[in-house]
Formats: sequence, C-alpha cells, structure tokens
Amino acid sequence: MSNDKNSGGGPGGFGSGGQPKVQIKVQTPRGLWSMDDPKEATLRPEYAIAAKVQDVIDDVRNVFKFVENDSKYTLFLGRTELEPQRTLASYQIKTDTLLVLSVQGGNA
Amino acid sequence: MTVPNFVTLEQVRAELADVASYAAAAGLGLDASMLSEANPLFYLTFSNRDDIEFVAEFDCRDYPLNPPMIEFVDAAHTRRATPNLYPSCFHPLPCVCARYNRKAYKTLGGPHDDWRLIDWQLPTQAGPKIDSLAMIVSDMHSKIASSTGRMG
Repeated sequence: MSNDKNSGGGPGGFGSGGQPKVQIKVQTPRGLWSMDDPKEATLRPEYAIAAKVQDVIDDVRNVFKFVENDSKYTLFLGRTELEPQRTLASYQIKTDTLLVLSVQGGNA
Repeated sequence: MTVPNFVTLEQVRAELADVASYAAAAGLGLDASMLSEANPLFYLTFSNRDDIEFVAEFDCRDYPLNPPMIEFVDAAHTRRATPNLYPSCFHPLPCVCARYNRKAYKTLGGPHDDWRLIDWQLPTQAGPKIDSLAMIVSDMHSKIASSTGRMG
C-alpha cells in the first residue's frame, strides 16, 4: 500500500488530481525505508510533491516504531536539514532521492 | 565481567552494516580499517553547520555488555580529548554526556555517578532507547549537524 493520503494514485507518476508523485528512500538507524524494504512495511514512501516533510517523518516513525514523542526527529537531504512544514517539491526532491532520518535522544 | 574479544568483534561487525548504511546516506566518513579482536575500534567523521569536521573514535571493548568509549581525536588519531577536537554541543568536560558513552560514567572519570553501566541502553533524560551503534551514530549526527563552531 502506498501512502494514499499523499500520493493520490494513478499511473505515470501522477496522482488522481494530476499532481506528480515521487518515490523516495529514507535511511534510518533501524534500516532503509523504500518501495521494497522493509518487506513487512504497510506504508511505502510514495508522495505527492506537495506533501510536507512532516508527513514523511510521521510515516517513517510509524514504519520503524519510533514511538517516543519527546525525541527530535529530523530529515536530512545530504547535509541539509529539512524544515518539517515545507513541501518535498520545495527541496526539489525527485524519485529515488535518499533522505536520512536522524533520531536525537536527550542530553545529560 | 568482560566480554570475550571475539564476541565483541562479531557483534560490532554485525552492527557496522547498519552504521555503514546510515553513514553513507548522511555523508559521514566511516573508517573501520583498524577493527580487530585486539582493537575493536572504528572512527566516524561528522561535520557541523560550519563544515568543520570532527573525528570520533568508538572503542567497543566489552560491547555490547558495556557501551563504547567515545572520544574525539584528530585526523591522525594521535591527539585526543581536547576541547578543540570537540563540537560545541557536548558536555564541557569534554565528553559526549550520554548513557551510551562509557566516558560519561564517574567510575571512568566522567560526571555521572548516578548511572550504572549495565543500564546503558536506557534513554538519557527524555528520548528513545539508544540501544545500537547505529542509534548512537544517529544521535551524535543530529546534535553535531545542527551545532556550530568548536568547544574550544
């Protein structure tokens, strides 16, 4: 199942409303999230380009069971820290773009 | 209690697959060329927002019973543990002050006499369990990437 709330479905990389979709990859410290991995995932990283970075963070947390709400979860594109409320399109994210989810614990 | 060297080496090798994947995606430099039973060490190079590079040594002796000893060193691995080798985001001791770092424990010269080594996978303050080398690397990556400058 792709991420229907963001993808809209439809062939040729376009959602039902004609909005382009991208299929991305997200590396996390617990493994890679892609259209194929992990095998048991019920969500896949397929998004309309107008989807927010926060949508991706929420979904990848769900897939890898990062349940703690008081942690800081950040997506990086290379060395660029992505702002949660910006869209994927605003970072020119394309199909097969690899993002990184960093998970930050507490300080003592 | 100690962990046989071959057990530590196998565990570290197994976990380095995830570390390598994460490091490659995040643009971190991984050097595990010195990893052996006698020296269960690897190095990671992080960058902060100013593009300053910091090299961290992970000494995994007795891992996974005990956490690694994490220390910042120079590129040649000769100078170590001075403030100018540290990013600004950690404890001014200097020390990566988290349960996942052996150096943070009082018995080993760190600030914490309220922690037990056996509990190293528990969260430090709020946050998730940091229970693997890849999770440790991710936590450090997040903190260093958003910091600026050097500690000293």
